[in-house]
Amino acid sequence: MSTTWLPCGVYHQNYVQDHAWWQTKFIKAKMILLLIILFVIIPLVADSYVLSILNLVGYTILGAIGVQLLIGFCGQITLGHAAFIAVGAYTSTLLILEFPWPKILMDWGLAYPISILIAAIVSGAWSVLFGLPCARVKGFYLILTTMAAQFITVDFIITGYVSQIGGRGQAFSLPPGTIKVGPWIIDSDLKVYFMMLVLVIVCVIGVLNLIRSRVGRAWIAIRDNDISAEVMGINVVKYKLLAFYVAGSIGGVAGAFWISNLAAISPEHFPWFWSLWLVGVILIGGVGSIHGTIFGAVFMVVVMEMLQLAVIPLADTYPKLLMDFLFIKEAAFGLAICVFMIFEPNGLAYRWWQMKNYFNLWPFSY
Amino acid sequence: MTVTTGIMVGGIYALVALGWVLIYKCSGVLNLAMGELTLIGAYVSLSFYSMGMPFLLALLLSLIVGLVLGILTERIFLDKLIGQPVLTVIMVTVGLSFFFKGTVEFIWGTDTRVFTPPVFSIEPIHIGPVIVGQAYLWSFVAAIILLIIFVCFFKYTRWGLAMQATADDEMAALSLGVSARFVYAAAWAIAFMAAGVGGTLLGNINGLNISVGYLGLLVLPAVVLGGLNSVPGAIVGGITIGVLQNLCGAYLDRYFPGGVKEVAPFAFMAVFLLFKPHGLWGWERIERV
Repeated sequence: MSTTWLPCGVYHQNYVQDHAWWQTKFIKAKMILLLIILFVIIPLVADSYVLSILNLVGYTILGAIGVQLLIGFCGQITLGHAAFIAVGAYTSTLLILEFPWPKILMDWGLAYPISILIAAIVSGAWSVLFGLPCARVKGFYLILTTMAAQFITVDFIITGYVSQIGGRGQAFSLPPGTIKVGPWIIDSDLKVYFMMLVLVIVCVIGVLNLIRSRVGRAWIAIRDNDISAEVMGINVVKYKLLAFYVAGSIGGVAGAFWISNLAAISPEHFPWFWSLWLVGVILIGGVGSIHGTIFGAVFMVVVMEMLQLAVIPLADTYPKLLMDFLFIKEAAFGLAICVFMIFEPNGLAYRWWQMKNYFNLWPFSY
Repeated sequence: MTVTTGIMVGGIYALVALGWVLIYKCSGVLNLAMGELTLIGAYVSLSFYSMGMPFLLALLLSLIVGLVLGILTERIFLDKLIGQPVLTVIMVTVGLSFFFKGTVEFIWGTDTRVFTPPVFSIEPIHIGPVIVGQAYLWSFVAAIILLIIFVCFFKYTRWGLAMQATADDEMAALSLGVSARFVYAAAWAIAFMAAGVGGTLLGNINGLNISVGYLGLLVLPAVVLGGLNSVPGAIVGGITIGVLQNLCGAYLDRYFPGGVKEVAPFAFMAVFLLFKPHGLWGWERIERV
């Protein structure tokens, strides 16, 4: 399955070439250009507002990749991913605030990076716990158990018990300067932006590599038909749980990353709405493609921001519009999902593919 | 006492669950927007009631609004999705639920509103040894009456039989001259109406705010418990969930403070699915490659 157009006269002779990262020099050049834009040009030109939006995009991408992995590649529909993001965020926060870190780790600024890793492991394990029913049930019933994960984790355990640790009440506040990576204290949008870039790139490359390996092929086989996959000798339960583990881990990384952008975390940051939002992102971007996830995240965040900008001028005449903007956002999100599902069921990734084809084949489209 | 209250609330859940099962049976749509359907019905009837209409008239008018909205929803959104994969249809209903919820919050706000003057008096009633609030009792009675009406509708009227036929075998029903599109629209209309009545009754008990929509989500454990495509299962499941919820609220809250009542049905459902994946009376599909 080669998705790139090769120059005339160049043919692949084996599967290794077919799945290679850099198939042509042109692609490599494009990717280097993208990296330069992301790491050099955007930080130079963007102001704090643009950077904060980009950080939100990055957080959405990190959260949605796990959902994409489960829904788009393994066929396990999940509507409770915010629970695992919350577990990651709370694990990381609690570790930073409560754990007696050795002096040397604190001095080198390793506490936060280590807590991100532990958060990934913990929320992966938590995700496997709620993925266990997938051994027996699938489809709609699995959706319900993942919903149960959301309500049990966020609304019950975190609100009722985890938030009480240390006697802080509802929210954990993160004093400035607590979040430190190496020598840098993460305190501005720009530093969060760089951290976001690194995490997103690591996660995207990791997932892409997983997908073109044996594990990824097993997941895709399960998605397409789980009974056939089992007949072909794939241990279905094991690979499903592995998918839950990886997805939960990436969710945990997303949560642990996002606390660097917040002054305080509370259970209200991880509502059921956020789980559904992530599913909406991958549906709009395109199910079953990683770059679709990125398109979806960019599209949703930017469209919502533009909606807000559009509402502000109207606020003088209709102050209710701005006051209740959250509700407009909710309704618009719902409507966007419906419209995309009905008129563009393949998502933005499919449009992108069509555009690329058009230009690759231009001017002779045959 | 706790059990009685549970049964009373469960009656309302059963009514909403019936609407859910109906949509699933007739058109195969797994509807996650049920909570918002209850919200809309409840707020519409509240608006009519606070305009000064008698309660029954307000309820009747909200039924009519529910009918129209149900048909519109089906025609605009769900009609184009026949034959699409499960995830697509589910996500459209999720999108619908956000759309409805956002609209309701925008129009009516998020403050708790009560039916003023109260529809049912607060004086409790003694039935033998148990004491029941009037709102609970009348809600239960209303829910049971509507349940009976709906069940009779399916068993004895021409439209109801057409809906049963479509649920059973769509192709055969089509060849016998049943209009499937009409049946789908009717299913959504009835679900809207049942949810609206359920929402109104729930709003009478505790006051009306967005969390009534969450109570509407509780029908999901109820239908899973009873089996997705079984009408008696929906009724039994609804009442069971109501009782379970109240028992947990009464006995477990002491040991696990912090909203056991809201989470218990979902936790129960997750465990229940491990042992009986098809519910009590759901069909077990045999899958072939």
